[in-house]
Parts: sequence; C-alpha cells; structure tokens
Amino acid sequence: MSSRLSLRDFSVGIALLLMGGFFAFKEPEFLSARNLSQLMTELSIVATLAMGMLLIILGGHIDLSAGSGVGLLGGLASVLVMQHDYSAPAAMGIAFVAGVVLWKAMGALIVMERIPAFIVTLGGLLIFKGMFWRTIDNSTIPVAPGGTSNLYSLLTTYYVPPKWGLMMATVLVLILVVITLRTRSQRLADGFEVESREIAFLKVFVAGQGMFLFVLITNQFRGVPLPALILGMVTLIVHVLTRHTAFGRHLYAIGGNEEAALISGIPVKRVVFAAFGIMGGIVAITGFMQTAYVGSSTTTVGELMELDAVAACVVGGVSLRGGRGSVMGVLLGSLLMVTLLKGMGLMNVSPEHKFMARGAVLILAAWMDVRLNRR
Amino acid sequence: MDQILLQAEHITKKFPGVVALNDVSFDLRAGEIHALCGENGAGKSTLIKLLSGIHPAGSYEGWFMVDGTEVRFSSIADAGRAGISVIYQELALVEEMTVAENIFLGREPRRMGVLVDWPKVYRDARALLARFKVDLDPAARVSDLGIGQKQLVEIVKALAKDSRILILDEPTAALAEHEVLILLEILRDLRARGMACIYISHKLDEVFSIADRVTVLRDGATISTKPAKQTDKGMVIRDMVGREIQDLFPRRAGHPGEVVMKVDGLNADTGVAHGLALRDISFELRAGEVLGIGGLMGAGRTELLMHLFGAWGQRRSGLVALAGQEMRAASPSSSIRKGLVLVSEDRRRYGLVIENGVGFNMSLSSLDQFTRFGVVNRSREMKRSRELFDSLRVKATGLDAVVGRLSGGNQQKVVLGKALMTGPQVVLLDEPTRGIDVGAKIEIYELVNQLTAEGKAVILVSSELPELIGMSDRILMLHEGKIGGEFTREDATQERLMEAAMGGEMVSAN
Repeated sequence: MSSRLSLRDFSVGIALLLMGGFFAFKEPEFLSARNLSQLMTELSIVATLAMGMLLIILGGHIDLSAGSGVGLLGGLASVLVMQHDYSAPAAMGIAFVAGVVLWKAMGALIVMERIPAFIVTLGGLLIFKGMFWRTIDNSTIPVAPGGTSNLYSLLTTYYVPPKWGLMMATVLVLILVVITLRTRSQRLADGFEVESREIAFLKVFVAGQGMFLFVLITNQFRGVPLPALILGMVTLIVHVLTRHTAFGRHLYAIGGNEEAALISGIPVKRVVFAAFGIMGGIVAITGFMQTAYVGSSTTTVGELMELDAVAACVVGGVSLRGGRGSVMGVLLGSLLMVTLLKGMGLMNVSPEHKFMARGAVLILAAWMDVRLNRR
Repeated sequence: MDQILLQAEHITKKFPGVVALNDVSFDLRAGEIHALCGENGAGKSTLIKLLSGIHPAGSYEGWFMVDGTEVRFSSIADAGRAGISVIYQELALVEEMTVAENIFLGREPRRMGVLVDWPKVYRDARALLARFKVDLDPAARVSDLGIGQKQLVEIVKALAKDSRILILDEPTAALAEHEVLILLEILRDLRARGMACIYISHKLDEVFSIADRVTVLRDGATISTKPAKQTDKGMVIRDMVGREIQDLFPRRAGHPGEVVMKVDGLNADTGVAHGLALRDISFELRAGEVLGIGGLMGAGRTELLMHLFGAWGQRRSGLVALAGQEMRAASPSSSIRKGLVLVSEDRRRYGLVIENGVGFNMSLSSLDQFTRFGVVNRSREMKRSRELFDSLRVKATGLDAVVGRLSGGNQQKVVLGKALMTGPQVVLLDEPTRGIDVGAKIEIYELVNQLTAEGKAVILVSSELPELIGMSDRILMLHEGKIGGEFTREDATQERLMEAAMGGEMVSAN
C-alpha cells in the first residue's frame, strides 16, 4: 500500500528512457515541442481510459467493450450537436449519463447473474459497435459545425496559456507540500515511523521539478493541453479512490481473494457494480477526447482502444487476476505504449509492423512480470 | 485367506512441526476387509496418501511391501500399477461425462492407436456394471446420478483397473441407508473373490457389520489391531480418544449473563439433493459463555456457523435472533454490523488476502470506522491495527509484512485481529487452532477467556475433543446436521461426546 516505487515501476522507467533515447537519436523531431505536446494529448486519452480499466481489473474483471464505447459515446455527442442542435455541454452530459447507464447494465449482468465479465463485455464490444455505426449512420460527423468551435471541439484544441500553466504548477506544488507536512505530523503524533526529512523533501522536490518541467515543455508549444488537465483530474480521483477510500481497499480485497472479502463483510456486488459505473463515465470522457482529437466521429474511432488500455495496465504491473496494481504504474505503462506508437509513427513504420511491435512489447512486459514475481 | 498382500512397516511421516505418523505398522491380507478407525487428524488420511503414492517414497521413513517385495511409489500411477486403488471422500468423477467415459477415463481402448474405440468403451462398461450387479446405464451422465450411484461408479472404475487392494475413505458419508446396503453387499462379494480392502469409517455399526479386523490409530500411532470378533464399539471408542486432557486448556468459566443469541427450530440447506442439511437446531447462547460445537467431518459444524453468519445455505424454517432481534436472510456484511463475526476454519480461502499486508487484512472489515467524508484516515486506521498487532503479539516485521509469508499461528492472529476490530458481541470460531503450534494455541485460548470476561459470547467449533471439553462451558454435538447430544462441561467425556457424534443413543438426558 505504500507509495514507494517498486522494482517494476523502475524497470518500466528505464525501458521508457531507452525507448525515448532511441527515438530521439533516430528522429530528432521526436523531441520537438510540437511532437511532445501531441504525445501528451495522446497519452492523456489512452491513460484516462486505462485508469478506468485499472478499477475494473483490480476487482478481477475485464472490460473489452471500452473501445466500442469510446466510439459510441463520442459519436452520440457528435450526432446530438450536429443533427439535433444540442449545445456541446448538454450533448456531452447526455452521452456521459448514457455511458454510466450502459456500464451499470453490464455490471449488473456480471454481479447479479454471474456471467463472466469477459463474455458480457465481449458482447458489449459487438453491440456497442453496432449501435455506434447506426448512430452515426456509417458517416463522418464533425464535433462542431465547420469553421466554429464549441466546448466539445475545444477539448483537444484548447491550451492553458503559459502564465496560467505556471501558476497552476505553483499552486499544486504548494498543496503537495502542505499535504506531505500534515501527513507527516499526524503519523509522528500517532507514533509511527516516517521517512527521514531529507527523503520527504527530495520526493516533493522531484515531483515539483517534474511538474514545472512539464509546464515549461508544453509552454514551448501553446501551453498545457486541456486533455492533460483532464487526465490529471481523473488520475487524482482514481488515486484517491484506490488508496484513500474504503471502496478502493475493498476492490483490492475482492481482486485478491473474493471469498475472503465476502466473509470479511465487504458488499462485493455493490463494489464491483460501482466500479463499472465509474468505468462508464470514464469511457464517455475518453470518447469525447478521442473523437475531438480526430475532429469528427467516424466508424474507426476508438477501435482497439480497449486493448491499448489493458496493455497499459499490464505493462504498468497491474495483475490481470486482480488485487494488484497502482495509478503510478498505469501512468508509466500508458506512457510507454504511447511513446512506442508515436515514435514508430515518426519513423514511418508501417501499420503492420506497428501492430507487431505493440504486441511484442505487451508480451515482453507480461513475461517480465512473471519473472520478477517468481524471483 | 492368510496370505499377506500388503504390509506397512515402521512408517514415520513428518510434516513441518508435526509428526503425522509415528512408527505405524499395518498389514492387509487377501480376502480381508480391514477397518481403520481414528479421530479426525489421527493419521488415517496420511497413511492412505502414502499408500497411494500422493506423498512419494523418500518423504517418509519405513517401508511398504506388496506380495512380500518392497514397493516405492513416486506417483499415483505407480500405486495403481501395483494394484492399489483409492476411493476418496471427494469423488473424482468428471460430472459432464457419461458413466462409461468415467470408468475408462485415461485408459480408453484405442483403435489404430489414436481413435477411441467408443463401442468397446460402452460394451466393456456394461459388462463391468453387470458383473458387480450395479444397475446403471453406461450412457448416463454422471451429473444426473445421485451421490450413492456416483460412489458405485467410482468403485466400478477402481475395479476396472484390476485392482487387488481397494481403499475406501469414508465411502458411506454421503450415502442413504439403502445405498449403504448395496455398497456393503458389493464389498462382501469382492471379499469372497479375494479382494483386499481397507475400510475407513466413523460409522462403527458399519465397521462391525463388515470388517474382519479393526485397527485404531490415535495421534499418528497404532493403538490396537484386533479381529472384529474380539472387540466392540466401546473398546474402539476408548482406543480412539484414550488421551488424558492435559492442562493445556486454561478455560476460566465466568457467570453466563443474558441470552445474546437464540436459535430455534432451524432448518437450512443449499437446495442440492443429497447435500448436507441442518435439521431442527435449537440452542441459546449467553453473554460470557463459550458454546462448543463438535461432530465428525460432514456433520454440519462449519455449515451451521456459516449459516448463522449468512454465508451458507437457505433457511427453510426456524428462527435466529441476535440480542432479541430476528436475523433474516443475513449476509456477512449485515452480520458484522449487528455484532456477529466469523473466523473461518480455512484461513487462506476465507480469511486472508494472502498477497497483501498485515495491516490491510486487519482493518478490512472495519474501514467504515476510520472513514470520514469518504476518505479513510490511514493514520487512525494504522494506530488501531497497531494496537491489535501488539495485543495479539503477532510476530511479523510490521503492518506492511505480507501475510502469506507468516506462520500459520500468526496468520490466524491476523484473522482474529480482523474479527475483533469490528467490535463484535458474538464471535464464531471455526477450528481456531487448526494447524498452529502449541504456543499460539494457548494464546488463542487466553484470548477466548478474555473475550468472555468482557461479556462477549463465543461459539467454538473444534474437531479435537480435548480442546472442546477443555475450552467450552457447554457442548453441542452434531450428527448428520442434527443435534446429537448436549453436554455441560461437567458431564462431557470424550467417550460420551464421540458416541453422540456417531449418532449413538443419547447418553446425556440433558
């Protein structure tokens, strides 16, 4: 339960550096502000979905329908805006609620009727895909009328002005300092050991440096992209859920040993049901970002994204049997998968080779996981 | 008849911290049914596992001989080739296959080396069933059979392998009366054909109706081997329990207070035909009291606790009340809220999230206590875990230690800590000292004393009679899902409890 970086996170970090170094060496364009900013946006979209996937997998389930859901809910919002004259916020609100309802329905089948999540969400993958194509009538529907912008289209075209970005980073670092100090003093008051002053300072310092570095880099190209803020919010929420609420602890326990969780008095069904509800909301948010990033809803939006999200989790050390995994790991895993994809894109690797490389990295990560755990 | 077919000489088998078998010798003659009796944990199962190759040669001392030559089994297949077949309590049939497929599972006759010769499978199966007068269709699916019929299939399957030595482990535990008669008839028939049979059963009536000789094991040692004609039920029971209660049980009885739990005319089952059912169970539990519940394996002890806790079976009729309030369709979470908590006999399965830490597990049932505005206050939670960690004297490096790496006794303390943190009024303990060392056992007994001194009530399920007598203020013995006898601490003797557990005449008229 500690926030310490594991050996695994460390090895993913090294793999990331090696990979980034390789791409930067082969294609200097990789380190350009523009490319890094795009990378951030793409990371934000994949990682947001992976955060939801983390909640599902922690409880010992899986969601294969997420990619179809991304297409469907983004498409629904587009259709409402373009064909029914809804305002962008209303359209997204409706699609968001639809996502929560659909995922709760799948959750109900899984917990009440005990149909395996693999099957329910595989069915969902096909059903949502069909619903998606029907919704957009197999055509291309933009997120905003030509030449205009709305909240929907701004999702991936808005950048936080550089000055505001720096101010935000400052405020966040201050909050981090306050929280660290408060936690420390309470633990000390309760007679627990805490890490040394130097280590605590170093941690806050590195985190702060990272945040400022991030803002400074993105400021080179227009500023912090809005999706990064959205990812930040989602990550924070999922982090608090998993680490600081009874819900999250119960989820770990269910994934670790469902029978023991039940005997321990955990409302197993309610917890898993809630996780699916949250996933529905996250799929909707991802759908809006991905559709806005593409610029319009077309039949291919969201395709295979469920696998990207699962891969990000596995690379990030989340156990598919449930009960093990962290927000930090998923962030790193997502970054690795997105870096791989982006770097290969810059090097003009053909799509068929991209698929193979992604598959190989996924299997490699899972193999490493097995080896590291065996020890 | 006198030819010795199987001989076990000076067998000693040790597990970490326990001597399961200590210098046991045993022999079996052709055309003989030799009954093996003993309490749960006396070493019967271990002996069978050695004989059947589950524990391979080299993991024990002593030797086995078949037909006068030493055998060293390293697998079940080895034992099978030597003509030994074991029929376990838990049946090893594939439910989705037919009777014939099961009989020839793994040894299907082939055609051209690869294709299964299905007509031959069914022909041979029909012939085998007819030979043993078992009236079953070889094409029937096993899942459609009753438990007694399955048992018969299991036996035919063993016989089809040309076994000469048949070992039956509690074969009648799940059988109805008439099925028992069929089984015993088949065994007598086999004996007449020269088959040798080891028969393990708690049901002494059966043992005496069929066995030629009876061997009693206790605490891993052979106590007696006698021809059935020269012994009787009473002597066997005495040999089985014959231990003196040592001063291991520091029970300090208090003065029972008001009734905290009342069970009246309880009937419950899982809706499975032939499955175990709890029938007509009534008792009261008072504050500050330890109510012991005993019984043989499969008597329904665990099921009773799990049912009270809301984790087993459906209630057909009867009433369960906690602190004067009826508890209907309870779930574990509602039971815990009402002050009832269960410590399961199977801690790895029902007790612990094995890959997580001590602290994680201890507070798992009580996170609500530390939650404000939806957020768990880690510091308060750890503080409370630490208190229990210290007072239970858990030996671990700290709250972060992974529970899977702790010893059995310390794991049990973590489960107890989790139960205590919920602040219960009634604590259900199912075999709380199973598989843990003596030191930790005594600590757990002290904890029971402390709980009752605080006015809490404890139901203690144990298959060790000395523990049951030593730690309980009152004892209920279960027999096939019913109460087979109730005893006060004063008039409980091991012999009387054992008799009640076996469904013998009621010794104590309350």
